Amino acid sequence: MVGPIASVNPYMDLRRSMRFGVGLFSLQCTAMQPRHWAGAYRDMRELAVLMEALGYDELWLSEHHFFYDGYCPALLPAAASVLSVTERLRVGTGMLLLPMYDPQRLASIATDLSVRSGGRLDLGVGMGYRDIEFDGHGVSRKQRLPRMLKGLEVLEQAEAAGGAPVWMGAQLIDPVKRAGQRGHPILFSAALPYERCVTLAKVWEEGWTESGRPADAKPALGALRNIWLTEDKREREAARDWVRASYVQYAGLGWTLPAVGDHQVQDYAEDTDKAIADTVETTITGSAEECIRQLRMFDEIGIKNIAFRLILDGEPRPALESQLRRLAEHVIPHLRDRVVA
Amino acid sequence: MRLGLVLSEGREAEMARLAEAHGLFGVLAGSANPLTAVSSAVYASTATDLVRVIARVQLGLEHPVTMAEELGVLDNVNNGRTVILADTGQLDAADAAEEVEVLRAALSNRPLQHDGRKWKVPAGLPANATAPKSIAVTPKPAQLEIPFWLTGARAREANESLRLPVVAREPSSVSNPGAVQPAITQIGGELTQDRERVAAWVAAGVTHLLIELPRDGDDAALMTMISRHLAPEVGMPHFPRVMSQSRVPLPWPGERG
Repeated sequence: MVGPIASVNPYMDLRRSMRFGVGLFSLQCTAMQPRHWAGAYRDMRELAVLMEALGYDELWLSEHHFFYDGYCPALLPAAASVLSVTERLRVGTGMLLLPMYDPQRLASIATDLSVRSGGRLDLGVGMGYRDIEFDGHGVSRKQRLPRMLKGLEVLEQAEAAGGAPVWMGAQLIDPVKRAGQRGHPILFSAALPYERCVTLAKVWEEGWTESGRPADAKPALGALRNIWLTEDKREREAARDWVRASYVQYAGLGWTLPAVGDHQVQDYAEDTDKAIADTVETTITGSAEECIRQLRMFDEIGIKNIAFRLILDGEPRPALESQLRRLAEHVIPHLRDRVVA
Repeated sequence: MRLGLVLSEGREAEMARLAEAHGLFGVLAGSANPLTAVSSAVYASTATDLVRVIARVQLGLEHPVTMAEELGVLDNVNNGRTVILADTGQLDAADAAEEVEVLRAALSNRPLQHDGRKWKVPAGLPANATAPKSIAVTPKPAQLEIPFWLTGARAREANESLRLPVVAREPSSVSNPGAVQPAITQIGGELTQDRERVAAWVAAGVTHLLIELPRDGDDAALMTMISRHLAPEVGMPHFPRVMSQSRVPLPWPGERG
């Protein structure tokens, strides 16, 4: 059965040009970059105002629980803080771990925020993978899939009634196909090499087609991308090292990117150095022309929402602001104007 | 006694800035919709100089660890200005007291391990094999300890074990005021009556009075009445009214020539 189609989703029109966001705001105070949490939330609001002024479309948040560095465990209050100081910028949860929530309450809060903000909230949801996070919320990990599916039904009803558009986070064949079948766009992880994005975008499209949904109603997909626009060798080296440091966090969290078809496993827990090194290689870096060339490759496979993964461990704020300005000036305008006929 | 404002749903940011402009100590968000209390309080936090942002959270609607995480984020968003007004909602006194205990423990700077009548945290479920015996709910609050106040049908009963400030609704119900004694009252907009109303709360021993504005009133005029007449009146005994009844100083006409 075809479920509700996201009639309010601004990403439905495939003919439009690319859109650009920034993430992942996780509000951490890490061993390598100590700061006050209140300062992290203040910085995020200030950066959101800057992003809006520079013409970015979206800010993406990320969730984990019970981690020493305060990794943001409650995305909707964090989203509210950004929405309350901006007027145009969208805010997305990338991803909110749905099985750990009461879906009715979640839908109520998300709808309230969506209404208050003029429809600027995107509700990205994922399943979660850490035992401690399930146990701390009284949820059995074995129940995560049924709870996810039940929660999606509730959020889909809310979306059909004018609530926040639902996105999904997934890296494996079955959940990606499920997202296509249910009609939800995906925001792919920045750790996925381009070739794996190609594979999964096809899987998602198969799911969409099999469910009998009209081809012209397909939403554009999204992907986080590690990127740093520079032709300076030392800056490139530093930026790649900030990418490395930020993925050390995922080693600490015990994340693993499982094998998919010909694409190999990236095991951050057991084969940490290789997994991190492979992920650093996904970083798009170089001249503006090179960044534009690589981003167009995503456009051509239906991934038109690019979230620059620029919030990196060890990265000074002036470097981040400089990179936001450079990408806004030298890259985004060349991709925005390219509307497919 | 200091005065604060109860915010209207959907207008939290606008009304909080109005309360700030009139020098009130704090605002209460989340009275109308218990599900959206925390996000309402976040919007109220756009007013940066308010001493306190009071978030009314109804107990029993979500896992207390999830609530604690939302409140921990709220306290960092507003840089340590949160007060939690826990409403017992539909819970009985014992369940309400236990839920407040879990919230307070989760928002402390100690590892959380709770095994009570209703909640066990961590749950210790067999499928979650690698989960440890205790958890750290983070981020920790920006302030040393988030104040908790109580309200709701079972507040006084639940408070027999908790010993927290219970929000009063009538001056006569304040029998033994604590160091902090909050209350909520509605004003009508008629100065003489409203002066008598707030004076009664001072006499009862209340320290922080949250004011509900009448519906369909002129908010700007009411706020002026609160800051010009009621706040000075409760700010000292025997306030000399000549100061609040004098002519308003002229505004600056602007640069000339």
